[in-house]
Amino acid sequence: MTRSSVAVLISAVVMITASARPAQAQIYDPTGSQTGASGNIDGFAVAGRGVAAAKPNRLEIELEVSAASELTADAIVKYRDAKKRLQDAFSGLKMGNVKVEERGLNVDQKGQAINPYYMEMPVARRGKVEVQLKRKLVVTCAEIRDMDEETLLKLVAKLLDVAQDAGGKIGGQPEYNPYYGYNPYNRGGGGGMVRFILDDFDALQEKAYGEAIADARSKASRLAKLSGVELGRVAGIREVVVPGERASVMGMGGDDEVHRKRLESTKFQDIPIRVELQVRFDLAAAAKSEKREGTK
Amino acid sequence: MTCTVIMAVWILAAPALVQAADEQLEKVSNDRPDRPLQMPAASSETKEAFDDFERFARRGSWERATKALYAIPEAQAGRFVDGQDGFIISVARKRRAVLSGLSPEGQAAYRLFYDADAKKLLEQAKGPSEQATLERLYSSYFLSSAGDNAADRLGDLYFEQGQFDRAADCWLAVLGERTDSEISPAVLTVKAALALARAGRRPELDAIRAEMADRYADEVVTIGGRKAKGAEHLRGLLGDPGLAKGPDPASAATAGLPPALPEAVPAAWQLRFAASVTAGMTALELTQWEATSFSGAVPPAAVAGQTLYVNYLGHVFAVDLASGKMLWRSASFHNLEQGTMQGQSQMIDPKRFAILAAPGFVWTLGRDLKEMNYQAVSRLVCRRAENGEIEWQSSDIPDFAGIDLAGVPILARGVMFVAGKSSNSMSYGQDNTPHQFVLAIRPHDGKLLWKTDVGVFREGQRYYYYGMGDSSPQPRLVYRAGSVYIDTHNGILGRLDAESGTLEWGYGYPTEPAQSQYGRMIFFNGMPSPTSSQGAASAPLAAGDAILVKGAKSDRICALDPDRMKLLWDRPIARSARLIGADAQGIYLGGPELGALDPKTRVLRWSTALPGGSDDGQVLVRPDGLWQFTPRGVFEVDPQSGRVRRIFRGDDAGSAGGDLMLTDGLLVAISNRTISAYPRGSAGAAQASRGGVAAPKTGGSND
Repeated sequence: MTRSSVAVLISAVVMITASARPAQAQIYDPTGSQTGASGNIDGFAVAGRGVAAAKPNRLEIELEVSAASELTADAIVKYRDAKKRLQDAFSGLKMGNVKVEERGLNVDQKGQAINPYYMEMPVARRGKVEVQLKRKLVVTCAEIRDMDEETLLKLVAKLLDVAQDAGGKIGGQPEYNPYYGYNPYNRGGGGGMVRFILDDFDALQEKAYGEAIADARSKASRLAKLSGVELGRVAGIREVVVPGERASVMGMGGDDEVHRKRLESTKFQDIPIRVELQVRFDLAAAAKSEKREGTK
Repeated sequence: MTCTVIMAVWILAAPALVQAADEQLEKVSNDRPDRPLQMPAASSETKEAFDDFERFARRGSWERATKALYAIPEAQAGRFVDGQDGFIISVARKRRAVLSGLSPEGQAAYRLFYDADAKKLLEQAKGPSEQATLERLYSSYFLSSAGDNAADRLGDLYFEQGQFDRAADCWLAVLGERTDSEISPAVLTVKAALALARAGRRPELDAIRAEMADRYADEVVTIGGRKAKGAEHLRGLLGDPGLAKGPDPASAATAGLPPALPEAVPAAWQLRFAASVTAGMTALELTQWEATSFSGAVPPAAVAGQTLYVNYLGHVFAVDLASGKMLWRSASFHNLEQGTMQGQSQMIDPKRFAILAAPGFVWTLGRDLKEMNYQAVSRLVCRRAENGEIEWQSSDIPDFAGIDLAGVPILARGVMFVAGKSSNSMSYGQDNTPHQFVLAIRPHDGKLLWKTDVGVFREGQRYYYYGMGDSSPQPRLVYRAGSVYIDTHNGILGRLDAESGTLEWGYGYPTEPAQSQYGRMIFFNGMPSPTSSQGAASAPLAAGDAILVKGAKSDRICALDPDRMKLLWDRPIARSARLIGADAQGIYLGGPELGALDPKTRVLRWSTALPGGSDDGQVLVRPDGLWQFTPRGVFEVDPQSGRVRRIFRGDDAGSAGGDLMLTDGLLVAISNRTISAYPRGSAGAAQASRGGVAAPKTGGSND
């Protein structure tokens, strides 16, 4: 064995020794969070789920008002008239439970779509800009929970007809041609013409939390029984699924929404209020020994 | 210190430089290489000659200045150079204009040099060459002592030939520019007034009659052997309604009661032509059919007498307006979809089909869907109105070879006018760019009366792929007072003499630049079109004494006085806008929304978005309302406020909307699926429909 071979052998042994660590069981984090609860299992960690359901209490129809023109004054006239027509049309219904909410006004330039197949940029228009004013209007109709299907359909038909007759664009116009690829900012696709909303679910949410804790305790008790140990106190709880909190994609697209707790569905049906909690229970024996050590 | 000064100068001068650069970019010139269409341009020697003239005239070198002008060959007289205010004028017109602008010293010098030549030419103006010689005198020697006589005689010749517009120009030129003329101004005024009246140039007629009353009221002139005061002559001659009255704008669309539809009226009759196409289709075939642009095509239609003629993708049929029964058709609609599924037919723009009808004949323009040639041209076919038999077709006449006819043909004074472009198959070779033409055709036998080259395209179609439609905008024609106007929708409005086809002038409006610096590409797979902001190609619109122009790819709307060659006003407008009508109350625009401009202030007065937009379709525009056929029925809009007064759902729910036509007793709605005729309604219904209700009323048999 040469001197260099010895050196390589020693180096390999040192590296293997240095990289060796005691094996640890990791708690599976269903959210994939790197900073989530991880560490050695000490007791039982179980997921508890609770579900309550209720029919939506209101519906929403999203409309877009947009106007573009070479002269900003023209764009303002077009935008103002279009918005007024829609608002007048809905106020003309004289329905107390229907109201039109406005979202943020977007002022931008109307651009030509870039077509990657042409392998070129849009032709420069010598600094000429068509000003575009755009705003989302959301028509909401409350008190729909107790409506029968026939009445609801008539209501939806009336709202959609009024919106379209008043020149409204339902759901807005996509600005990005999906043929050219996925647009991560387009959250409007597949949203449906009508959204059914549940936003008065506090009492139901309490019930779902209760069910989730009970479910966790039941699971943990079963595990303890099967393991031949006694279940101790709750050592920690982490909320995994919380109802009514919408995540925005890359922080985009949601800046014109009213931030409030809500659940939505494209279908008029019971909307589930799902709660999922990760609950950690101590072992009763471990708790006792800890107590004993403490008294010493 | 030096650096600071330079910086300060630069900062102060920069805005001015930027503005100058912008103005340079905005300036419309026939010679700019980025203009998509160039009118027949004068040679660079000719342009240099004008430059030389100006330079020498500034120095007072009159002989050299005028010599420079006379170096221009006569063959260049009909070519075009930049005029003022965006107008593009002939070399002959410019030569006369610059000579007229000479100072008194320059004029005196000019006569010294050229009077002898002019007099000699005037003596030679006899026999067959009389007109040509007089035209040369008028163009080149107008300022000479013989110029006024030449112009007067030329005016007489034009008047005898029925070219009243040109005759009026000759006499007005003598009155306005040759104040030293010995010809009686009263006689010239009477002559000019008569020519103006016959040419339909009313504002100028009114002005000249006022001048007559002021200046030559008591002067006795002899016209047609009759001696009388000038004003009396005019009163006697122009009192005849056949002379002074212009074209009557009243038609079935504007006359009579508005198309007020009662609450729930069923269609008097309905013809479901698209059902013949889709009958027996499997679900897959139906999906394929609906994926083509042809399934959404609204067929163009025309009315002559009591018959409606329709060109449905080259299948022509006639419908009796009273009963709704089909009288004849050129071919069965069955299996029409098979032609539309082929690659070559998918390159056809369904909007390129057109129809024109007159008593006795019906003319259709379009491509044969079964034609296998990718570069096949549109055919103009004349049929007998009573049975649809072909009388003649352009493909059988050699004069039409290599011309792809496009746009909507028009009929005026017994002549058919149609625009055309040299076809792709003909445009490659020595002269490899296509030309824009206007053709005049004898309607009953297809004889080509004249063909005028309006300009040359600086590029052809750039992209080709299977399934791509012809994206080039369609030129549109309009006839007015002896002239045919063509909006090429490529940055040029041209005026042609209807009689001779002479291209008189062009007006260059801003438009999307040509892009030939990029390569052409060919794609072999169907692909969706990029977002287009291109508006529909609307015809030039007569609004009072003005002509309104809005190019399909232009972001300006321009109002021109075509007789005085003046830009009255222009304003920026959305590129997607199109002209749909004008009256004393407003200039009505289509596009993503319906809108109205105030004709005086040009402010956008109102804008109303209708379902499906107003990008397409024939909108009925009357002083008492606007009617548009949308996918959600016929919308009646108040022209004053833009308020939707009434929504008539009709019996064609689910169609893509389309065109509306008004006949004596019917409102005819033509969609991509049916032709539905509704009774026009009673006066009571009309009044009720215009009542001051806040919410629009809806009606229709299906409501």
